[in-house]
Amino acid sequence: MKKILVWDLPVRVGHWLMVGGFILAWLTSESESLRLVHVIAGATVFAVALFRLPWGFIGSRYARFADFVRGPAAVKEYAAGLMKLEPAHHVGHNPAGGWAIVLLLGLGILAGASGWAIYNDVGGHWLEELHEGLAATMLTVVLVHLVGVFTGSVLHGENLVSAMLSGRKNGSPEAAIPSQRPFALLVLLAWVVGAAWWMAN
Amino acid sequence: MRPIPIILLLLLSSASQAETPQQIGQAYAAEAKVTASAQRGEAFFRQRFGQNDKMPGCTSCHTDNPLKAGEHAVTGKSIRPLAVSANADRFSDAAKVEKWFGRNCKEVVGRACSPGEKADFVAYMSEVR
Repeated sequence: MKKILVWDLPVRVGHWLMVGGFILAWLTSESESLRLVHVIAGATVFAVALFRLPWGFIGSRYARFADFVRGPAAVKEYAAGLMKLEPAHHVGHNPAGGWAIVLLLGLGILAGASGWAIYNDVGGHWLEELHEGLAATMLTVVLVHLVGVFTGSVLHGENLVSAMLSGRKNGSPEAAIPSQRPFALLVLLAWVVGAAWWMAN
Repeated sequence: MRPIPIILLLLLSSASQAETPQQIGQAYAAEAKVTASAQRGEAFFRQRFGQNDKMPGCTSCHTDNPLKAGEHAVTGKSIRPLAVSANADRFSDAAKVEKWFGRNCKEVVGRACSPGEKADFVAYMSEVR
């Protein structure tokens, strides 16, 4: 076992853009003078989540939904292993992490779409309530995700936060992905900038 | 301060929608134990609080004519008129009214608005033509 490349650049940069966007959007949610910052931050989360959908089919091996979206049985088995403090090691996402991704992408897209509608004065007070509810649900999933990342890191003796920065995890050399996918990163960045600019206007 | 009337109204608003501006204004007035004054409400609306550079007063976004559509001082987005005579949806949902007093008072006035100030404001926006 050695450190091998597992997460491509769009996965990693997209992840941290969502982190930054979510935190910033949360901190600016109560302010009208910071409304533009809030909209751009939220649009960043929304744009990354939308990009992640096709990337879940055409991205590198561990970025694909088929690699990490598992049924309830697999999640239960993983959770049972976690309870016994000996969770199965996955080179890519574990089944619980997979569901955190699906939920966060879905919530990010719904929160972004409702936020865009509010910003353009479509819908009434109920839409504001929905938007806030979606964001609060997202925060809850983020907190569960953080507990999972911390637990997984400790139990596997593998720092999953630095893995999401460097892209490298423990695995056998033949399990590595061949490329960082730098061109797709440029597409992601151009898309996020374009979408955020368009949504804030 | 007795927050009971507005809490009752908030409970009521989750059960049924559609309050009238009069009901919402009366709940604030009852809480403040004053009679609402549209004149005081207008003065409050036009006051420059100067707590926030981008939005020193209500008129920064809502213009000095509440019958007209406003324009957000930062985003430039259109804001529908505050006056009930120009926008029948205004002050018809107690939860929404309370939420936006909460946000905007904190940022523009620099503190929470009192129930009396809210009652006056609702009275002015209900009466202005």
